[in-house]
Amino acid sequence: MLSREGGNIGSMPQPAAQSVEIVIRNELAELAKLSDGLERIGAELGVPGKPLMQLQVALDEIASNVINYGWSDGGNHEFCVRIRGQQGRIEVEIVDGGREFDPRQAPPSEPQPAGRRRPGGLGIHMVKQLVDRLDYERVGGRNRTVMTKRYVSDGRSSS
Amino acid sequence: MSNSALSIEQSHSGMVRIVALKGRVDSTSANDVLVCLSNQISAGEKAILVDLGGLMYLTSAAFRVLLIATDEAERGAARLALCNVIGHVRELFEMGGLLDAFTIHGSREEALAQLS
Repeated sequence: MLSREGGNIGSMPQPAAQSVEIVIRNELAELAKLSDGLERIGAELGVPGKPLMQLQVALDEIASNVINYGWSDGGNHEFCVRIRGQQGRIEVEIVDGGREFDPRQAPPSEPQPAGRRRPGGLGIHMVKQLVDRLDYERVGGRNRTVMTKRYVSDGRSSS
Repeated sequence: MSNSALSIEQSHSGMVRIVALKGRVDSTSANDVLVCLSNQISAGEKAILVDLGGLMYLTSAAFRVLLIATDEAERGAARLALCNVIGHVRELFEMGGLLDAFTIHGSREEALAQLS
């Protein structure tokens, strides 16, 4: 009986699942809000620097793609990013009402001949390398892109 | 935001123009790098060394401007090389398959020996 006392839910500060929802405008300056949100969750969960940075680069790529190419009307738009973290895994969901874009279908970046080094699809190519899983669906006239990054906690709280 | 800061430090070593990038190069700051490098090329610099040793973070936006600047340099009969491509930054170059797209030297000293 005694050995069970410590097991009560709520009596131990387990690293709980963390989540945040961030709505940003279609301006590149807004990307910093996403970095801040991801860094905060990463710090709370103790995600090591390398996987956290890789996920941040991937999020930057997808979100800047939405900002740069999602709308061609020059108007102000908003879209939503949800970051959910739990032990061993962070999931980032980007939902936008912009032009349909399936990152899984983006053409691979190809070697460019000398003198023409401007790669197409480089950012999306990198995303595929940076995350463990990339899901996409078009629902209700919106793009829903979900990236999943696994990590091995280093057992210390990461600053 | 302090974490979005980019600083660009420029200096000369002999005939080589050194551009040291520190902090973050992302979608918001990449254009500053391109403007800086384009200015050097159009000013007639013939050897430009971009030192990435102080970079904490970069996205594909950084690769894009470095690729564009490399092309501009070639058209201007100039050489553009990178040095101190290390750690996380090097891994991102590998993931993008970009190590072969640039002239990359190890340390700044090695690069200067090659470019001078």
